[in-house]
Amino acid sequence: MKTCIACGMPMKNAEDYPGGDTSLDYCVHCARPDGSMQSYDEKAASMAAFIVRTQGLDEGVALATAKEMMAKLPAWS
Amino acid sequence: MLGPTTTRADKKQATRAALISAAMRVYELDGIAAARTADVAAAADVAHGTVFVHFPSREALFVAAIEDFGGKLASRLHELAADGAHVREVLEAHLRGLAEHEGFYSRLAIEAPLLPREARQSLLSIQSAISFHIAEAAERDEAASLIKPIPTYLLFNTWIGLVHYYLANRDLFAPDGSVIERCGAELIEHFMSLIVPCPNQKEETS
Repeated sequence: MKTCIACGMPMKNAEDYPGGDTSLDYCVHCARPDGSMQSYDEKAASMAAFIVRTQGLDEGVALATAKEMMAKLPAWS
Repeated sequence: MLGPTTTRADKKQATRAALISAAMRVYELDGIAAARTADVAAAADVAHGTVFVHFPSREALFVAAIEDFGGKLASRLHELAADGAHVREVLEAHLRGLAEHEGFYSRLAIEAPLLPREARQSLLSIQSAISFHIAEAAERDEAASLIKPIPTYLLFNTWIGLVHYYLANRDLFAPDGSVIERCGAELIEHFMSLIVPCPNQKEETS
């Protein structure tokens, strides 16, 4: 099972990949509508928004947290 | 047993894993902030200096232990929380994953606010993986009117608050063993009773 290079999510099924393309190394949550991988800033913003929505952290703290998480992932390190 | 093709890198990796495993045992007994690297080395049956061959500092060792635990918990949760799982099933999977290293995680829950920033960030990464699964399940269950509409962060924080309180006080709730084993099912039942709509509400929303 592959792990998304951009957010670390395990990719178990075809629906975890953009357009079901299992040859890609990033997941559906890290793709733009056209299927290409989000930029660093786009990913940091979407990850921070996810942290705010699911854990309720302050927006600035969430963005810093997102960037620190991303620093450990292959796509951004 | 290590085979003839075992490389120096394999041995190094095995020693690193043994040190992390030993550190988790020592943290469980002594606490993360108070644990001594000499005790970790003794528990892993290596020389004290070996710890610093693998980890540049005491802090680097506990960050590595937290990340190792977090990676295993996330994979376990991904395995256990099957596709299309309901909130109850994700909570059960979460507790099963935590139970595998209950002592270590309890220390982490107690000491997190006092640990260096990098260690706290590692805990936040763990919580993000858990909240991802809870959020996905909650979205499905809310759409099917199986749970009340509740902001995801309050749903997650209420659950984590409940679990952490029991883990932080495990000596009071389960002095002779696992607090998850003893109280886990009751905590899930209680939490579900808070988020499931009462019968009248369910009829109104359906």
